[in-house]
Amino acid sequence: MKKREERLILGKGQYADDLEFFNMAHLVFVGSPHAHARIVSINIEKALALPGVMRVITGKEVAAHTRPLPVQANFTSKGWTWRLADVYAIPADKVRWHGEPVAAVVAEDEETARKAADLVEVAYEVLPLAGDLRTALAPEAPKVYDDWEDNKQVHLVFDFGDPDKAFAMADQVLQVFNREDRVTGVPIEPRGCVGMYDTKNDTLEMWGSFQTPFLSRHNIAATLGMPEAKVKINAVDIGGAFGLKIHAWKENVVALASKLTGRPVKWMEPHRDFMATGPHQRDVFWDGKIAFKNDGTLLGLKATVYHDLGVESTNKGIAALSIFPACSSPTNMYKWVGMHVEGIGTVTNKSFYCAYRGYGKDKGIKFIEAAINQVAKKLNTTPEAIRMKNFIQPDEFPYHQINNYVLDSGDYPALLNKAIEMADLEGFRKRKKELAGQGRYLGIGLVTAIEPAGVAVPNCQMGGITEARVLITPDGSVEVHSDRTEIGQGAEISHATIVADILGMDMAHIHVKRVTSDFIGQGPLSSRGAVYPASAVAKAAKLLRKKVVQCAGSLMKIPADQVVLEKGYIYPTDAPEKKISYAQFADKMFFFPGPRGLDPEILKAHDHLLDVTTTWYSPTTPESGSSYTSFCVSADIAVVKVDIDTGVTQIVKYVHVHDAGTIINAQVVDGQIQGGIVQGIGEALYEGLNYDENGQLMNTSFSNYLIPTAVEAPDIEIAHLETPSPFSETGSKGMGEAPIIGAKAVILDAIEDALSDFGIRVNDAPATPEKVRKWIRQATKKNR
Amino acid sequence: MKMPLTFMLNNQQTTLEVDARQTLLEVLRNQGGMTSVHRSCEEGECGACTVLLNEEPVNACLVLAASVQGATVMTSEGLVKNGKPHPLMKAFTDELGIQCGFCTPGMLMNAYALINRAGDNLLTDQVIRKTLEGNLCRCTGYVNIIKSVHTAQKAKLAGEWW
Amino acid sequence: MPDYSAGNNAMKNSVMKNFIGSRAMPDLVYHSPKEMKDLLALVDAHGTSARVVAGCTDFIPSVRTGRWCFDQELNLIDISKMPVLNEIEKTDDVLKIGAGVSLTRILESPEVKAHCPVLAQAVEQMASLQVRNTATMGGNICMASPAADTVPPLLVSEAWVVIRDAGGEHKVLLTDFFTGPGRSVLTRGQVLTHICIPVKKSNEAAWFQKIGTRTAVIISVVSAAVRVSVNNGICETARISLGSVAPTPVRVSEAEQFLAGKPLDDQVIAECARMAAHAISPISDLRSSKEYRKDVAQTLVKRSILACREALK
Repeated sequence: MKKREERLILGKGQYADDLEFFNMAHLVFVGSPHAHARIVSINIEKALALPGVMRVITGKEVAAHTRPLPVQANFTSKGWTWRLADVYAIPADKVRWHGEPVAAVVAEDEETARKAADLVEVAYEVLPLAGDLRTALAPEAPKVYDDWEDNKQVHLVFDFGDPDKAFAMADQVLQVFNREDRVTGVPIEPRGCVGMYDTKNDTLEMWGSFQTPFLSRHNIAATLGMPEAKVKINAVDIGGAFGLKIHAWKENVVALASKLTGRPVKWMEPHRDFMATGPHQRDVFWDGKIAFKNDGTLLGLKATVYHDLGVESTNKGIAALSIFPACSSPTNMYKWVGMHVEGIGTVTNKSFYCAYRGYGKDKGIKFIEAAINQVAKKLNTTPEAIRMKNFIQPDEFPYHQINNYVLDSGDYPALLNKAIEMADLEGFRKRKKELAGQGRYLGIGLVTAIEPAGVAVPNCQMGGITEARVLITPDGSVEVHSDRTEIGQGAEISHATIVADILGMDMAHIHVKRVTSDFIGQGPLSSRGAVYPASAVAKAAKLLRKKVVQCAGSLMKIPADQVVLEKGYIYPTDAPEKKISYAQFADKMFFFPGPRGLDPEILKAHDHLLDVTTTWYSPTTPESGSSYTSFCVSADIAVVKVDIDTGVTQIVKYVHVHDAGTIINAQVVDGQIQGGIVQGIGEALYEGLNYDENGQLMNTSFSNYLIPTAVEAPDIEIAHLETPSPFSETGSKGMGEAPIIGAKAVILDAIEDALSDFGIRVNDAPATPEKVRKWIRQATKKNR
Repeated sequence: MKMPLTFMLNNQQTTLEVDARQTLLEVLRNQGGMTSVHRSCEEGECGACTVLLNEEPVNACLVLAASVQGATVMTSEGLVKNGKPHPLMKAFTDELGIQCGFCTPGMLMNAYALINRAGDNLLTDQVIRKTLEGNLCRCTGYVNIIKSVHTAQKAKLAGEWW
Repeated sequence: MPDYSAGNNAMKNSVMKNFIGSRAMPDLVYHSPKEMKDLLALVDAHGTSARVVAGCTDFIPSVRTGRWCFDQELNLIDISKMPVLNEIEKTDDVLKIGAGVSLTRILESPEVKAHCPVLAQAVEQMASLQVRNTATMGGNICMASPAADTVPPLLVSEAWVVIRDAGGEHKVLLTDFFTGPGRSVLTRGQVLTHICIPVKKSNEAAWFQKIGTRTAVIISVVSAAVRVSVNNGICETARISLGSVAPTPVRVSEAEQFLAGKPLDDQVIAECARMAAHAISPISDLRSSKEYRKDVAQTLVKRSILACREALK
C-alpha cells in the first residue's frame, strides 16, 4: 500500500510548478552579476514599459513594506562571538554575492517577466571582495557587513571531558588536516511557491515546496509584519529537499508581490538560481591534533574547524548554528578522555550556508574518522583493530559521552564485524597486494559513524517542538497530522505503518495529511522524522487506541482488556464472530446512537471523542543537555580502483551495515541509505562549488556541478542490525543523514589506501581525477 | 509567431495554437495539461522533462514545439490505461524506484523506450545505467530504479505490457 | 554541450548583464525547409536575422544562459527535417553524413561502425541519450567548441565538410574549418550540409579516448583520437588529434611525423605521446588546470596508440 507513490507515478503529483490559480501573475528575480557591489541606481522604466509587466519590486520597496528578516538562532548570551546581520529579503544598499536578487519582476506570464528581468538596469559600484575565508580573515579585509568589526561571524570554544589530561596521558600526538569543498544538495526540483494575499481579510496563504511550513509561517509573517494567525503555509508535493527547502527567504518577496498586486503570484525558481542563490554547505578546513597511546587507545583531540559561511543574510544564525554539531561530533562512537574543539565561522562574498544532509555533524565525524585511520597507520595496525579497541561496548548503553550526547543503544563491534564479513576484507587486502606488482591500484576504505539524529537546541528555531494529531472520522477512516513534511523520505508511508499497526487497521484507511503550518513543529530536519514526529504520531495513536478500546468495550459491554483490534475490525477476545468494522464502530460513536450510547463515566471523563492531539519531547535532552535523542550507527567499507595515470577512481564494491533501531519500513530505510551513499560519493569524487577571483560562481548548472549519474553510482550491499532505541516511541532512530557521512569518508579513505605506495594523504575533497593525479605527481617528485 | 500545431499526443490527435518560441516542455505542461513533464534545468542536463518523440526519448526543454508538427509525442500520462498504472509504473512503485517523484516521469519514459527496444534480450545493469545516464536522480542512488527496470522487463516478457 | 558557466558574461564593469537564472526565448519565426533550394533561399533572404539549427540542443541553452541574445525577431531555420541532409551514404571511399543526422543515428549506423568506428566510439561518450537523439554532428562542428568530441576523430580521419551558399558547393578540410573557440570559416549565408569522411582501410586502426571529471554526460577535460596505418609492423602514417587543449581541436604534427616510419613499440609510443603533450599549450579553466591537461593528454595519446596497435594485431 503506497498511496502517495501510486498517485505520483500516475502523473498526479502536484509540485510547486504545477500550481495554477485564477488570475495568477508570475515573478522572476533579477540577480546581481557582481559578488560585492554598491547599488548606485536601479532604473525599472524599460522593464515596466514591456506589455504585461505589472510591477518591479526593488530593495527600496522591500524595505518600505517589510521588516528585516527575523533572527532564527541566537547565542550572543553565551559570551561567544556570534554576529547577526540586519538585512531585508532584497537589499537596497549593496549586494554581497553573485546572483543576489536586486529586484523582482511581476508580470502576467513568466516569459514576459523573464524578458523584463533583462531590462531592469542596475548601476553598481564594484567593491573589493572578501572572496574566501583567508581573504576575509586578513587584517583590513573588505567587510561583508559594514557595521561589523570584522568578517568573523562566529567563534565557539568547547571543552569536553579533560583535554589537557588526555594529552598528558598520550604516548603520541598526530597532526591532521582535512578540507572539504563547498557543496550543495541540488534536489532536482528547485524552490517554488504561490503566494495569495486576500485583501478582503488581510490574510496570506501560500503553497509550495516548503520543507518546514510552521517555521516558514513564523518567518514570513514576521517579515511582512502580519499576525501569524493570518498566514497559512501549505506544503505541496516536494521534489526533494535535503534541508535546502527549510528556509523561507525569497518566498517573502513572493508574498509581498501578491500583497502589492492583489493577485496570486507564482515564483518557480530556475535551477541556476537555486545553485547560485541557494543554500551551500561544507567549505571547511580542519586543523587538529589527536592524542593516543601506543596500544591504540584513543585519548583526546585538540582541533579548530574553520567554516567559510558565505553571507549571513538569509537565515539569520542557522548557518552559524551548524558549527555546533561540527565541533561536538568528533567524539563519534569511541571513548575519550577529553577534547578541545574550536569552531570559527567567517562571512564571505558567497551564497549563504544552510542545512544540507549532514548539517555539521557529518564534518566532525569525517574528520575524526580520517584522523583515526592515520593513527592506525602510524601504529601499524588495521583500521578495524583500532576501532574495536575504542568502541563503546554494548553493555555500556545508555552511554554519556564527554560532549553530553547520550548514546541510546547499539552493538558497535557486531556492526563492524558484519561489514568486514560482507566485504570480504581480507580477500580484498590480498588482492590489493597481488595487483600492486602489476601497476594496478586497489584500495580498501573503512569507516564507522554515528548519526546524531533528532535535534533540539535552545535559543533557535530548532528547539524540538512538535505536534501530532490522530483521529478517527465518522466513516471509520483515520487522519494523521504532523509536522513531518513528505520530501521523498517516506514520511507518509512510515506514519501510516505506525498508525495501522497500533490501531489494527488496514493502511488503505489511514490518510496521512499534507503538512500545513496549522500543525506546530519544525518539520523533517536533522533526521528527526523517525524520532520526534514519528514518536508523537505513535503516542497519539496509542492514546487513541486506548479510547477505542474503552469505547468499544462500553458498546460491546465487555471489559476493555477483552477488546481486540485487528485488520480493521473490533471484536471481543472470545467472540470473533461479533466483530464490527471501524466504520460501524465510528458510526455508532459519532451518530447512531452517538455519545449517549456509551458508559456515562466515559462521557463524564470527556473521553469519547476519537481525536487525539499530543506532543513528544526527548526523554534524554532535558537533563543531559544532549541535543540529539537517537544515534543510529553505520559501518561502511568501500573498495576502489585508482587509475594512477589519469587519477580516475572507480568503485568496485560498496558495503554498508546500518543500525537504525526498529525498522518501520525496510524499503524506505534502504532507499534513504542508497540515496545518501550516492550523494556522499558525489561529494567525495566530483562535487565542488568554485568561485573565481571576481567572486563569480562557476558551477551553476548540472553540466559543471557534477552529481553522480546512474553510471557512476555503484551497486550497494546493505545489511541491518536492529537495536531498538529505548528513547523513541517506536524504537526507531533517525537515519536520513548517516549514509552521506560514511560514504564520503570511506571513499576518500579507500583512495588513500589505493595510493599507499605513494604515501599520499587524501584530505581535500573532492578527490577529482585532476587532484588525485596532482598528488601522485607531487609524491613521485618528492620520492625521487 | 503564433502557429497551429498538430501532433499525436499520447495517442490522441491534438491541435494547439502555439508560439514559435515555445519549447515542447512549455506546450506540454501549459497547454497540453501534461504536468508529469517536469521542468528543472531547462537546458537538457537533468532529464526530468524526458518524453518520447517518435518513440525515442528527448528532453522536451530542448525541443521547439513547432518542430513536432506531425510527430508522435508520449508522456508518462500516456502510459496509464483506463486509470490503471502501466506495469512499468507498478514496478517503480513495488521496488520503490521513486522517492520524491520529481525525476520519475522522465525516468519512466526513458526506461519504457529502453525496454521496448530491448525486445527479448534481457537488460544488464550496465545497459540500464548507461541508458539512464541523462536522467539525474538525487534521492534514490539509482539502485531501486535499476531494480524497477529489471522487474518491469520481466513483466513485459511475461506478457503484461502495453 | 558547451559549457555556459555564469562566469562567462562576467566583467569588471558596472553595466554587466543581470544574473537571471533562465532567460526568455526570443521572438521566433520558425522555418522548416524541405529542399536545398528552399534552405538557400531562406538563408539568403533573412541574412543576419537568421540562425540555422538542427537539434536545438545548443541553441536553447545558449539563449537561456544569455550567451546568445537577440533583440529582434529571429528567423530560425530548422534543417532537421530535410531528407537530403538526413542521410548516411557510402560512396566509393567516402562516408557522407548529412548535417541533420542525429548523433544516435551515427552511433547506430552500420556504415559508421564499419567505415569510421572511431567516430561511433566518440559519439557514444557524448552527452546523454536524450541529447544524442536530437543533437547532430553538424551542430557539434558548427558550434566550434574546443571540447567538441566528434572533431578529433574527424580530424584524424582527414574529414572535410561541404558548405553550401548561393555560389554553390564548397569543400573545406576540417583542419581548415575552425578559426577559434566558437568561430569557424562559415559566414552568413552559408550552411554546412555534409561531413565527408574517407573510409578506414584494412591496415588502419583508430581510437578515441576522453577524460572528464565524471564518467557519464561530461564535457571533456581532454579528448584524444589517433589513427595509424601499419605495414609490416612499421607505422606508415599517423594522425593524432587532441580536443580541449587549444582554442580549437588540434592535430599534433610533430608527434605524428615522429611515429611515421617507426615500429609501434612501447618506447616509440611513449616518446610520441610525450611529444604530443609537449606540443600543446592548453589553458586552465573551470574544468581543469593546464598542467593536468598536458599530463593526461600524454596518457590518452599513449593509450590510444596502444589500442590501435592492439586492434591491428
